[in-house]
Amino acid sequence: MRKFLVLLLMVVLLATTFSQQVTLRMIQVFTSPLRTKILEEIIAKFEAQNPGVKIELISPPYETAYQKIYLMVSAEEPLDIVEVGDWSLSALASMGKLLSLEPYLAKSELPKYFVPGVLEAARTYKGTAYLLPNALYVKTLFYRPDITSKYGFPNPPKTMDELLQYCRALTKPEIGQYGFNFRGKGYPTAFIDIVMTSFFDDIDPNCMYLKKDGKLIFEDPRALEGLKFYIELYKTAPKDSINWGFDEQVNAFVSGITPYLFQDPDTVGLLKELMKEGTYKTAPLPIGKGGKAYPTLGFSGWGITSYSKHKDLAWKFLEFFNSPEINAYWCREYGALPVDKRVYEIDPYFKSEVFAGWRAMFDDPKHYQFTKYPLDNEAWSEWNELHETTMQQVLLGKMKPEDALKTWANFWKKAGLGK
Amino acid sequence: MKKLWVVLMLLPTFSLVFLLNLYPLVRGGVISFQRLTVFNLNNPRYVGLANYETILRDPNFPRILWNTLVWIAWSVSLQFIFGLILALLLEKPFKGRGAYMGFVFYPWALSGFAIGLLWSWLLNGQFGVVNDLLVRMRFIKVPIGFLSDERFAMMSVILVNVWYGIPFFAIMLLAALQSVPRELYEAAQIDGAGFFQRLFGITLPYIRPTVVSTILLRIIWVMNFPDIIYGMTRGGPAGVTTILSVQMLNVVYYRNNFGLASALGVIVTAVLLAFAVVYLSLLEKGEFEL
Repeated sequence: MRKFLVLLLMVVLLATTFSQQVTLRMIQVFTSPLRTKILEEIIAKFEAQNPGVKIELISPPYETAYQKIYLMVSAEEPLDIVEVGDWSLSALASMGKLLSLEPYLAKSELPKYFVPGVLEAARTYKGTAYLLPNALYVKTLFYRPDITSKYGFPNPPKTMDELLQYCRALTKPEIGQYGFNFRGKGYPTAFIDIVMTSFFDDIDPNCMYLKKDGKLIFEDPRALEGLKFYIELYKTAPKDSINWGFDEQVNAFVSGITPYLFQDPDTVGLLKELMKEGTYKTAPLPIGKGGKAYPTLGFSGWGITSYSKHKDLAWKFLEFFNSPEINAYWCREYGALPVDKRVYEIDPYFKSEVFAGWRAMFDDPKHYQFTKYPLDNEAWSEWNELHETTMQQVLLGKMKPEDALKTWANFWKKAGLGK
Repeated sequence: MKKLWVVLMLLPTFSLVFLLNLYPLVRGGVISFQRLTVFNLNNPRYVGLANYETILRDPNFPRILWNTLVWIAWSVSLQFIFGLILALLLEKPFKGRGAYMGFVFYPWALSGFAIGLLWSWLLNGQFGVVNDLLVRMRFIKVPIGFLSDERFAMMSVILVNVWYGIPFFAIMLLAALQSVPRELYEAAQIDGAGFFQRLFGITLPYIRPTVVSTILLRIIWVMNFPDIIYGMTRGGPAGVTTILSVQMLNVVYYRNNFGLASALGVIVTAVLLAFAVVYLSLLEKGEFEL
């Protein structure tokens, strides 16, 4: 027995000294079973190309992922690669625990092929890139031609007025048919803003909540008009949608209750599983009274911790992840817009009809002006909570739209935005 | 020498309690006086009572307190009443009792958050099963927005909490019921006492200590139990289901403001402590009977 144990010990010792395995620890934010599977496949490919390297993927539930990452990174717990999204970039970068990727980017081929706006997005925080974006998120209009054509609207609405008109015509509560797919709960901010800002023609390209003259949009009479319009849209949605988050929205779209939906490209990944091809399409966001619509460029990617012991190896993985083939696979399976121009050429999928909405918006800068949220403002996260509850109060008739706008204006003034 | 041993023997327990209970409590108390958000995790600064001021000045705070009271009062009293009924029904052996007990106690084994999500779909105002059944049975014509209508939202989350909490009372009370000496019932039967006379004359007085402690435990538990509400409404619509512990989660998850959340936690602790002291001293004095 003793002999056996000694032998066993020797084998283990030999194995560990000769293998010299390097383990990279990587954490994702937007965890879902589908996404985890895709990530694991990409990791397996990387490990096959790099013997002796192992990547350990940590997948906390999405609800608590940001907090977990903030705490892990601030305590310098062993992590090499961290998922960074537009919403968490400033918080993570301001801790000083993210590595500047500028030296790597200077040597890399990748930036040459970036879609316009990607490099600027990566450099959101103080002009330095702290992440390598691998996916873009822009909201567009999803619609169900199979349902809307029954009511005489085979084509998507081009303007907000048309959208409201179509939605009203569709709404028949007695048979469970409604128009607009409303988002009431869980970060409804972007949904409110798409409609409200479309009444403006002078939004600051650097800030969604400022006009070009530097004043807050909430004090402009057009904001009230836009907000009232948004309430009209709510009337063509089930009352219950005040309590709807992402899951309920997708459910209502798939079942056809509300065939007009504003959503991000990652919804495509889900719809592909749940619906037949051709029963859903995308179209550019409807244009409002201001003659424009103001989408924002959301992004996510991987960053490297400043205290990582394997920075070069981590960068190698990031570059691998962004190589055209992998990036195409990632964006196609998960449902995001690729950051690399070459992907749009090599992969016919991104030329298909499902992407018509985004293509039309990218090709029409006159009507679609990209802008940014004040994500680096410390008040941003509190804003999401305030925006959600005050909006719900307005929808329930407990607060006048005028008062909501006043509350919002005061909030941002206190947070140092606007003149 | 003997004393030293006692201290040594107590040390492991004490250090565990200190590490797992006292330290977080003290640390939370300290954080509640700091400005600690996700933007300054590494260099918090002391701000005195500013966090408490923010909370007390919040125009929604009185309503959150009121919601908390409503949530606790209805949840605990209904859980207790139905738990007692269930325990009384289960007291006498019958065929298949074990399987039946396993069945009705099952909700207790699930996670609160999962239950919240489950019921949020069941009660969905558009495609929920509950609405579908009610419409098909012709009780209602249009689906009810159980979670989106401010008149029903609080009631809905309370009913789910009651459904979830009945097994706890049933288990505790059943154990207590089984300790009541049979002779007392026999004597009462000979004296010709009816069901309610036996219930109020023998059963309840005998199990009073269990009732007192389970209700106290339960109130503390329910007050610190945001899972169901968070899974179902996140405190909405427009804050009508926001209780203190849900507000605490919202402050952490939305605002990423850990100082403010800790201050809320301290307030919850203070309220519970005050309540426990008053509750227990009133019981001691025999001010009210259970």
